Amino acid sequence: MSARVLVAMSGGVDSSVAAAILRERGYDVVGVAMRLAAEAPAPAARRRGTCCSHEDFEDARRVAERMDFPFYVVDLRAEFGARVIDNFVSEYLDGRTPNPCVMCNREIKFARLSERAAALGADYVATGHYARIERNPRGRFRLLRAADATKDQSYFLFTLGQTELSRTLFPLGAMTKAEVRARARELGLANADKPESQEICFVPDGDYARFVERAAPRQRLRPGNIVDAKGCTLAAHGGVHRFTVGQRRGLGLSSPEPLYVREIRAESGDVVVGPRDGLTAAGLVARDVSLVDPESVVEGAIAVEARIRYRHPALPATLAIEAGDRARVTFESGGGPAVTPGQACVFYRGDEVLGGGFIERAL
Amino acid sequence: MRIYLDYNAGAPLRPEVRSAIARFAEADEAGNPAAVHRSGQHARRALEQARERVARLIGAAAHEIVFTGGGTESNNLAIRGAAEASAARRRIVTSVIEHSSVLAPLEYLAARGFEVIRLAPDRGGRIAPAAVEAALDSDTALVSLGLANAEVGTIQDVAAMGPPIARAGAIFHLDAAQAAGRIPIRVGDLRCDLLTISGHKIGAPAGIGALYVRSGLALAPLMMGGPQEAGMRAGTPNLLGAIAFGIAAEAAGAHRDEESARVARLAELMLARLDASIPGLRLNGASDHKLGNTLNLTFPEVLGESMLIALDLEGVEVSMGSACAAGAVEPSHVLLAMGLGRDEARSSLRLSIGWSTTADEIDRAAEIIARVWRRVRAAEPLASAVSTRPNAATEAMR
Repeated sequence: MSARVLVAMSGGVDSSVAAAILRERGYDVVGVAMRLAAEAPAPAARRRGTCCSHEDFEDARRVAERMDFPFYVVDLRAEFGARVIDNFVSEYLDGRTPNPCVMCNREIKFARLSERAAALGADYVATGHYARIERNPRGRFRLLRAADATKDQSYFLFTLGQTELSRTLFPLGAMTKAEVRARARELGLANADKPESQEICFVPDGDYARFVERAAPRQRLRPGNIVDAKGCTLAAHGGVHRFTVGQRRGLGLSSPEPLYVREIRAESGDVVVGPRDGLTAAGLVARDVSLVDPESVVEGAIAVEARIRYRHPALPATLAIEAGDRARVTFESGGGPAVTPGQACVFYRGDEVLGGGFIERAL
Repeated sequence: MRIYLDYNAGAPLRPEVRSAIARFAEADEAGNPAAVHRSGQHARRALEQARERVARLIGAAAHEIVFTGGGTESNNLAIRGAAEASAARRRIVTSVIEHSSVLAPLEYLAARGFEVIRLAPDRGGRIAPAAVEAALDSDTALVSLGLANAEVGTIQDVAAMGPPIARAGAIFHLDAAQAAGRIPIRVGDLRCDLLTISGHKIGAPAGIGALYVRSGLALAPLMMGGPQEAGMRAGTPNLLGAIAFGIAAEAAGAHRDEESARVARLAELMLARLDASIPGLRLNGASDHKLGNTLNLTFPEVLGESMLIALDLEGVEVSMGSACAAGAVEPSHVLLAMGLGRDEARSSLRLSIGWSTTADEIDRAAEIIARVWRRVRAAEPLASAVSTRPNAATEAMR
């Protein structure tokens, strides 16, 4: 009997092709779409097909019909709300800039969904992520960047450990996006040319501040002042959740030189701004650090490349793992770009992801 | 071989129906029952014969049967047609455990000024006849209730409700989509004025249903056009559907008592097997007033959604609550109304069997269900699922 794999399908082209490829390879594919947030009611004009459904789920369902594998919608709204959305909101309220995709991978796709896979008798969970999993000669699993550097999503996956990787398949890891779309067209998938989603899935309009304001109790919001490095007040603001470290636009200040957010002090409500050169940091402290393979990281300081935002290049740095799941990262060049608390800092060695953590503060 | 345990959603075509459909297809006649020519006359004769067969299943006269597009249309026609035909009366009595095709038109009428009284059931899913009587007044136009509930199978004590409803001068509508063919129904004894039946619940195809309309009662039509179906349902009738429905009604009626007894024994066997292998299993619904074919079960410590999918992957087809627009399953509103907690409702599945179910299937299904329950409980402990209701942040997005 062939191995059963639960494929998380969003209705987009990547997860559709991932499922189709696994089906072609002979896996016993079970497609699932996760219901994560309350769907906005679809405008009547955009509804299509026989039922008033979520269009993305219908796209996934059509792929399952075409490729002839079973497909189900699973309701993980409560879990997603408690473990991803609540975290997203409270991080913003505490002056940090969260990365909900990392949390969703850690808490939902490779945790709750993985349990569900076991309940359904599946051996693996697969997704359409662009990343690679390899096994080294000692049988340990390695997490690697995707072949397509422009699509690489390994940054979002640093929380996966040996157990998770042993039960995970990333069928697109060696493909480019163009190859994936071409494959989708070959297979006759209707969503071959569907545009990519760019925004965070539960904030489709991209207005995070408004989302936080609707979700948080009013007394949790932290209004305060925008101040300069000397502590002089430049303006008042409606809440620290509206800012992210490194932000330039939307500060509502007039100044001869561009000003950037350097620090957010959630306790006092102060948002400290300054010129660009004040943004660089010598390094950072990360918390909640996890390693893909604890055996691969030696004690003491090691040379790595650290990526502190998804779209940033990885910077040469020295990594020192400390007690209590913390790490100290020091940039080689003596100063890195805006270090944003709440974002993930992921440690690479070449193409390999060693692990990562969440940025607590700049050094 | 897949094991189909979802008869309350729709039964497979009966063999008699399959051959009737094949005969119709081979005869290749183009008749419209309203046409004057001989082909039309043949079609009309077939339609009226089907009407007689359907009428016989519920002890009605043929002219009291209006063919519709299915149970949902019958319920809509009964409720909206009666409400619109009622000149002055503005109150409608129903219950919270009805099918969506009853609840939705009543919501529509409530938004247009009708006073809709929705009675709550007891823990077994029964509506007290005294509560119905107490809700009646001289302004009551209509009482609409399900004779047997689709999700738990509970049968209402409608014989006790009919006389007070008649005395109040209100119209009594029964949704018998689940009851027809499973328990004896004589519309005269039930003292109802309108009664819904559905083709695909008794082994005819989906897309055909009927509404019994007591002789002398006129409903405002939903479909307007020609004078078909005594003016209550315009449009060329679904002749093939009606023929199939007639044959299915005849077959269901002819074997009803033996078949119901056989099916009830199989369901009891299933329950006993599951009870022995699943500690803490609970049967929902009033066990002494219940369709013998329906088992609504709460499985301890598992999510019904996981059980449903895992069972499907093992070839056992059951159901849970209702599907939302996105295709996910939602906890049953009926179970919630009966007083089950949200988590209990989320752990409940409906097994419903029928004419083609065999003892061998019951044996195999009971074994698979127990095995799947053990696996799901071990792999996905309920404690790891954040249960109860969506949290504040999720609520805020609505």
